[in-house]
Amino acid sequence: MTKDDIQNKILAILTEDFEFEKPGLDDNLRDDHGFDSIDAIELLGKIELTILGFSLTRDEKEKAMGIRTINDIVAYIEDIKQSRNK
Amino acid sequence: MKRRVVITACSAITPIGYDKDTIIENLRLGRSGVKPLRDDGLLTRHIHSRVFGTVDYPIEYGFKRHFTKTMGPVAYYACQVAKDVLERSGLSQDFITSGRLGVAFGSTHGSPTVQREIYKTFFHDIDTKFSSIGAVDYLRSMVHTTAVNITRMFGITGRVIASSTACTTSSQSIGYGYEMVKYGMQDAMICGGADEYDTTTVAVFDNLLACSVNYNATPHCTPRPFDTNRDGLVVGEGGGAVLLEEYESAKKRGAVILGEIIGFACNNNGGDLILPNLDGITATLRLALQDAAITPADVDFISAHATATKMGDVIEAQAIAAVYGDKPLVTGLKSYMGHTMGTCGVIELILTTYMMEQGFIAPTLNLENVDERCRMLRHTRELTDTKTKIAGIQNFAFGGVNTCLLVKNGSEVR
Repeated sequence: MTKDDIQNKILAILTEDFEFEKPGLDDNLRDDHGFDSIDAIELLGKIELTILGFSLTRDEKEKAMGIRTINDIVAYIEDIKQSRNK
Repeated sequence: MKRRVVITACSAITPIGYDKDTIIENLRLGRSGVKPLRDDGLLTRHIHSRVFGTVDYPIEYGFKRHFTKTMGPVAYYACQVAKDVLERSGLSQDFITSGRLGVAFGSTHGSPTVQREIYKTFFHDIDTKFSSIGAVDYLRSMVHTTAVNITRMFGITGRVIASSTACTTSSQSIGYGYEMVKYGMQDAMICGGADEYDTTTVAVFDNLLACSVNYNATPHCTPRPFDTNRDGLVVGEGGGAVLLEEYESAKKRGAVILGEIIGFACNNNGGDLILPNLDGITATLRLALQDAAITPADVDFISAHATATKMGDVIEAQAIAAVYGDKPLVTGLKSYMGHTMGTCGVIELILTTYMMEQGFIAPTLNLENVDERCRMLRHTRELTDTKTKIAGIQNFAFGGVNTCLLVKNGSEVR
């Protein structure tokens, strides 16, 4: 899956499942879209199932708590994939 | 400090309707909301009782995902009726979020629909690779899910009481809400209960031989409170909420007063967790009269718990006779809707206020031949036009919990 594929998949999830309206890649997830800690956990579950295909470790999940934008999410997924491929 | 407590808004989602006019029409016409039990794909085939008090009409919730993500079906009912009472109350947004408004709301056991999905994970070993129990499943299914989803949706910051005492859940919520306002701990309380479609509750009562099984082909003929041919209760679903307010402030702001809660009692039988207890129930009825500082002769109408179980109805009839004699009219409103479990108390209170306002009392449906052990009461056998000044709403629960609410007709509140 390319970076663009990941980005499109994330945008689709946020629009369809999280009811985001016109999400921008640098929008602040919390301030602009009301994204909260419950949403973050739910999104990680969807990333595991639909993008990564494996379960995240606790350490990997905790790293996700610093995410603020959609670009951050895409970068996070790419990092995880790279580190697992080493 | 002892303050008067009035009802200034209400809403009920019931098997016989949601809006007031539909509910009143169905009460007047004797229409039942008991339908065939829906298939859950899990327990239904093992259950002998195939009837259920069913909410089968569409409800336009319109809740945003921001709120629904922590809500199971039970919280949808709860938040919808809470939304209705807040809208109808005319309370300001400043008051709603002031900390002077609290919530007393409960359900029998959170959201069984969500719990059922979790059971499937355990029983079928689904998806061991990923976390198949959602992060918010607890928030959707926990026992106080109705109360806190209401606070979250409307920004309510006052006290939270989350009763969960089976069939007395919502009557206890109303009673405790009444005490909060009466003694000055809060100025207003949203009180009530909700229970969603659930077959585990049906299975429990079915196993106890307490569910109706003889009318599976004619659901509207059951339950049959006080009738010789009653054969048990019918589980149902629904939700209901009332807004309780301190009388002087309600009057000052020009709120419509639907009724006044003048007395409440709650006790426990102190022993058996299932069997009805004459001493315990009789004591509850007397304690409520004492709290209201009225005599039995002041009460015109009793909304009996009357689940249509073999012994429950007889014990309740004995308690009513011991306290009230044969003066008040007695109706078992569950004959219209089945037993809506945690929400029955609030629904029966709301239906009683509707009937008091409209000047009629609905008869007990399916009461064709009164059980000889229940004949000492003044049963409502037909639609009766009458002015009710004070009514009693009685509910009793597994666990030996008994409640009684006494409510005064809103037109009599001065």
